[in-house]
Amino acid sequence: MNWRSVRAAVALGLALATLSAAAESLDLTYCITCHGADGNGNPAIRAPKIAGMEPWYIKRQLDAFAAGTRGVSPADTAGHEMQPVAVRLKEAGITDRAIAFVGTFDAKAPVATVTGDATRGKTLYVACAACHGAKGEGNASLSAPALAERSDWYLVTQLKNYASGVRGSDPTDAPSAQMRAVAQSLTDNAAIDDVVAYINTLH
Amino acid sequence: MTTPVSRRGFLHMVGAMGGSTAVYQAALGMGLVPAVAKADRPDIAALGPRRGKKVVILGAGISGLTAAYELSRKGYQVQILEASHRAGGRNMTLRSGDIIDESGYPQVCRFDKDPDLYFNAGPARIPGHHTALLGYCKELGVQLTPFINDNRNAWVQDDAMFGGKPIRNREYITDTRGFVAELLAKSLKPEQMLAPFTRADYTQLLDYVRQFGELDATFKYRGSARAGYMTHDYTSPEKLKQPMDPVEMMRSGFVNLMSFGEAEDQSAMMMEPVGGMDRVVAGFMAKVGSLVKTHAQVHSIKVRDGGVDVTWKQGEKLQTLQADYCLTCIPMHLLAGVENNFPREYSDGFTQVPRGKLFKIGLQMKERFWEREAIYGGISWTMQDIMQIWYPSHGIHRQKGVVLGAYTFSDDAGEKFSRMTPPERIKLAIAQGEKIHPGYASYVENGVSISWHRMNHMLGCAAQWSEPLWERWFKRLQAPVGNHYLIGDQVSFHPGWQEGAIHSAFHAIADIDKRVRVETPQLVAS
Repeated sequence: MNWRSVRAAVALGLALATLSAAAESLDLTYCITCHGADGNGNPAIRAPKIAGMEPWYIKRQLDAFAAGTRGVSPADTAGHEMQPVAVRLKEAGITDRAIAFVGTFDAKAPVATVTGDATRGKTLYVACAACHGAKGEGNASLSAPALAERSDWYLVTQLKNYASGVRGSDPTDAPSAQMRAVAQSLTDNAAIDDVVAYINTLH
Repeated sequence: MTTPVSRRGFLHMVGAMGGSTAVYQAALGMGLVPAVAKADRPDIAALGPRRGKKVVILGAGISGLTAAYELSRKGYQVQILEASHRAGGRNMTLRSGDIIDESGYPQVCRFDKDPDLYFNAGPARIPGHHTALLGYCKELGVQLTPFINDNRNAWVQDDAMFGGKPIRNREYITDTRGFVAELLAKSLKPEQMLAPFTRADYTQLLDYVRQFGELDATFKYRGSARAGYMTHDYTSPEKLKQPMDPVEMMRSGFVNLMSFGEAEDQSAMMMEPVGGMDRVVAGFMAKVGSLVKTHAQVHSIKVRDGGVDVTWKQGEKLQTLQADYCLTCIPMHLLAGVENNFPREYSDGFTQVPRGKLFKIGLQMKERFWEREAIYGGISWTMQDIMQIWYPSHGIHRQKGVVLGAYTFSDDAGEKFSRMTPPERIKLAIAQGEKIHPGYASYVENGVSISWHRMNHMLGCAAQWSEPLWERWFKRLQAPVGNHYLIGDQVSFHPGWQEGAIHSAFHAIADIDKRVRVETPQLVAS
């Protein structure tokens, strides 16, 4: 058996595996294995709170993961844990069902973990408010999700991902590219902590 | 850096995977464990027939099964809730048709149906001093067979030495020892020896050095039979191999691994259950299987006065169970996502201990080609990502065998493989194995990969404790909150070993027994 046939055999094995494991792995309760009870997040494994997230936003992110425009960078370890899951949801045609499932979750206010200067953050938040709203309530027409009552550590990670280009580098994803430009205007990690500390005061 | 194993990485590995003696000694120094050699199986007082205490155990890993077995046979009413489709936790043996429930990349094992064609994806070896586990093997009828761990005939391969050409483990060990012994003999002077060393001791020391490196009468290393002969003709004079260049050998990261097989937990005599490590799980399940509910995912844990309430989901159905005691072997990093009313000074610990990211590959080989290379069992080491190739100790001289094609210890290597699709992982493991065994690819029939930190309902390998974390968190996490106890190898000084898991259960159930005897003596059978 040469390499190519080994690969073919392995690929065939995987295809069979995908079929017979389907019943097992399409179980949507897997969402809460990582994202915690009622999808309220688990910082220990870097799985953000998804409860209370807007369905349109979840869809856009699941599509981005499935398309490989998100979660494929080697620098985005946590994102890649989601990426193949989104591919499987899409392949199984149950992305919408998953989103509806998340909609059944009982959202709880997350525990604040980020310590920053909320007063300074308030000044910096002006740049965010234009799209995400003065109260972090989000604006679907601008493709801007709500920021209030999200996992704060996750907001910090994503701001850093945007700033470094791990996220928002795909030219076909205009809202993310726009977000990247804004994240780059936050000059350092302290500024990121400050603005997230302010977001923590929004409800 | 050319080697995947740093000194720090090695020390971590020794702590987490290998002989935890060093870690254990450090713990002794910190006063965390009593200086008693061995904790026996606790002698739990049997409860009377009228009303047993109700115990819910979260997770059917080895610690959960141990606690269930010990408590249920002493009259406790036990229920185990297991989130996944199977019992055993990380004790997992893969055979034909088995599901590998990895988040995003589910696989099915395609090995031939054959009693020798299996892969121990989690624990794979039992040292002779793991008396609690061995005791259960005996009691539960789990048949054991010797496991070959250290094999001097196996290969060592590193791109940093000899242009990447593999050499025999015995050559590396013997020739480097010869080199070091010769250096030492040259530099040792009698006048350097201080009391209590005497002149006679000096001579004895030189003898030790000569013996250590097998030096000749003039304290020169000129090769040794320990490194193997050039030919094995047996009817003509035997010729020693020429010593290899020590400079090249010293450049290899293998210096950090060469003593692996000498660690307390890695040296002979090692054993494995006949037919796969999960025979241990099967042994426990024969006793307590009726108490286990699978696909039962814990939603919340609420500690209350005199008990614990657990809400769990089977499918969409949410159910609540009220127990007198709750033992949890859910990995801490998952427990952090379960709704609870634990005090923050306790639950904050769940997010503090990093989860292990160990990764393994198993390859079914159509022919046991390694046996033609005089390798029977044991480990070849490489400084490539795959790090190790293990040859099965069982099924010797049969046609096929399942080889361990990768076993990584570092987070980086684990992540690198985990980012790939399962077929890509197998392809990389084959390409790297090729450097150790030319023609390797031609033997591979199929393979499985296990990324422990992506396995559903586990999402991590052994907890990666370190000294500051032991000191800050261990006692707190080991101690109960009300009637809730955290168990599992994660709450032992032997993470990554079943023996640690069993002892964590012993620790918790001994405490429960003590409390029951004091608080409700009327329940104890007279």
